[in-house]
Amino acid sequence: MSTLQERRILRDLTARFPTHDNAEAIVRHSARWLNVAAGNAIPIVATLAMVWLATISLVVINYFVPFSLVALIYMLPVVVAATQWGIVAGIVAAFAGAAAADFFFYPPLYSLWLQNPQDIVDLLLYLLVALVTSNLAARLKNEAVALRSREKEIGELHAFSQGLATCLNSRDLIFAVQDYLSNTLRYRAVLIATAPGDRGAFDNAAVPGEIRREADKLIAAGAVGASAVLDPRSRRTWLVRVIAPEILGYGVIAVELGEEPGERTAAVAQRVETLIEEAMVTLNHLKVKEAIEQATINYRTEILRDALVGGVSHELRTPLASILGSCSVLNRLPAVVDDRQAQALVEAINDQAGQLDNEIRDLLNATRISAKGVHPQLMWTDPTDIISAALKQKERRLSAHWVTLDVARDIPLVNVDSILVEQALGQLLENAAKYSPAGSEIKISSRCEQDCVVLSVQDQGSGLTADEKGQLGRRSFRGGRQAAGASGSGLGLWIASTFIAANGGSLHAESPGPNLGTTMSLRLPTAPADARELVDALND
Amino acid sequence: MTKVLVIDDEAQIRRFLRAGFELHGFTVIEAENAAVGLKTATMSALDLIILDLNLPDLEGSEVLERIRSWSNIPIIVLSIHADEHEKVRLLRLGADDYVVKPFGISELLARCDAALRRQLRSTNRDPVVKAGPLAIDLVSRAVTLNGKRVQLTRKEYALLHGLAAHVGLVVTHQQLIKEIWGGHASNIQYLRILVRKLRQKIERNATRPELIVSESGVGYRLNQGETGAVPGGRGVPSNNHYA
Repeated sequence: MSTLQERRILRDLTARFPTHDNAEAIVRHSARWLNVAAGNAIPIVATLAMVWLATISLVVINYFVPFSLVALIYMLPVVVAATQWGIVAGIVAAFAGAAAADFFFYPPLYSLWLQNPQDIVDLLLYLLVALVTSNLAARLKNEAVALRSREKEIGELHAFSQGLATCLNSRDLIFAVQDYLSNTLRYRAVLIATAPGDRGAFDNAAVPGEIRREADKLIAAGAVGASAVLDPRSRRTWLVRVIAPEILGYGVIAVELGEEPGERTAAVAQRVETLIEEAMVTLNHLKVKEAIEQATINYRTEILRDALVGGVSHELRTPLASILGSCSVLNRLPAVVDDRQAQALVEAINDQAGQLDNEIRDLLNATRISAKGVHPQLMWTDPTDIISAALKQKERRLSAHWVTLDVARDIPLVNVDSILVEQALGQLLENAAKYSPAGSEIKISSRCEQDCVVLSVQDQGSGLTADEKGQLGRRSFRGGRQAAGASGSGLGLWIASTFIAANGGSLHAESPGPNLGTTMSLRLPTAPADARELVDALND
Repeated sequence: MTKVLVIDDEAQIRRFLRAGFELHGFTVIEAENAAVGLKTATMSALDLIILDLNLPDLEGSEVLERIRSWSNIPIIVLSIHADEHEKVRLLRLGADDYVVKPFGISELLARCDAALRRQLRSTNRDPVVKAGPLAIDLVSRAVTLNGKRVQLTRKEYALLHGLAAHVGLVVTHQQLIKEIWGGHASNIQYLRILVRKLRQKIERNATRPELIVSESGVGYRLNQGETGAVPGGRGVPSNNHYA
């Protein structure tokens, strides 16, 4: 998936997050009040009820059996209250228990006054034990609560990780993050994505201005990391975080954490951080996986292409080599030499097989160029040798034409891959022979211009229209006017121009008009040789 | 009769080579793989080996190295690829020359002729090398063109000598540079310019060379032109003439 697509998806996501409405806000508000009440009033009432219950039981027991360990019974409400509702309830239970014991069971009865010093010590001892116990029990309760919430959190994260594991691509992953943030954690999260060159793409009005500015700052600075920002208007804290800049471009996520910064928002920020980190790790894995898959596909394609090229090269060119070789032997057999008809037939086979071999070579070249590009092996070469080699290559094709040479004597050397340039020049000769009448002149010339050597082939053939000139050099181009008359795949000129371009040169076509001939030129870069050094090297 | 061993796994190629060689008075022995080829090369008295590089059982270059380890018999390599580095490598391994498929029988015969002639010269100790109108006496260092003496500088002669010693066969750029400039580091640009100067003295038309021809990316070849017969073979005319 491209970065651009990912960016688009991120932008789409912004619309899908749940937004708060007023009703929901009210429900949340009243729930908090209930929490406060539940945290104080109800436990105290319940605690007092328990102490009352303990007192009644003691009175009943005392009626039948005189009971001395009264204080011990009052420990029960303390432990229960402290473990159930916390330290406040525990303390209330302890004092209420002490008061009840004093009032109902220590003489003088039904008064808070104590007669016996022993009883004072007893009650104080009870109070001390009760307070310590309630403290311990309350702490135990807090830990249990923390443990439970941690367990829940871990459970959610586990579910999230499992969700990540099933993600097959970056798109799934983005949805998993969105789902977790909005549905499991119930935070309002806005994903903003923008590349460094594509700033100001904050098209979602739900993000407060202050937050936008902060995100913009992060993007502008190219920063990595997160910051918590308080929106002064709504007094709510937002976490603004850059997500995986190396993968998604500069994507920024803004998560609404809640009220003013504090311990709670810090904890939430931590959670969001953890989850984004985890998502990014998965995203990296996915990226690696996707890259490996792509590489595998490329590799297979390449093997297939190589096999095809190798196969075609061997399976087609080997029989052709036999045919061409056999023709060359036939041509020398006395029986054929003395028989003009047989000779003409052998010539025909030879020409056609040669043509076929050329076409196959063009196809192979085109496939190689498309697959691997051209990698020229540069070597300083005499342009005269390039012309000679190209002429030898096309000797048979040019036999019906009158070939003239106009070669400058002291033309500079060119630093090129001579094989490639020879093939390109050969192609120009081939075209000249193909598109000009037999017996007409084909003129090959070389000349030196400022910083390049120009090799040109001029024919007196069908020429080019302005339209054809524009299309020349395109892959598989063949002039419509010639297509009927001459054979060929049309790859030749494209290959020639590719080969010349790989050597730092260029291919040009000039024609005064249709049927007025064409001049095709190769321009090859050259560099002036160091004359003094050269003289030294050549002197005896 | 010149005995030639053809090592090639393609039956059709062997068939036309046999026809071509027999037409020119050679005796042909065929081998369809490297194993048979190597065995035949050790068992029979041969004059020449034609070796295809693409063999089913062993790399052609490996076969070349093995034969070269005991024999200096002329070897011409056949290849379907035209990679210049590979050609230079084969020449360095000891191939006398190469021919790229597809090729005509006359091209191959010309190479064989040159290789056989070189072999013959090393045994005959004939000091005069002839290449068309050009005669080079390797002992007296006299160079004549159509019977007339040609004055060459020392480096021009070194170049011509390097080529004449392997007349008809390709000589690599590196080999020539080494022979002309010795151990001194030199570059191919000097060689190109030197060739150009030499051509101006010996070629009929220096812009259309017929005697010293370039083998792209590999080296140069001194064309032997139309010459006399080699034992068992008829002289093969060079086909490198233009209108």
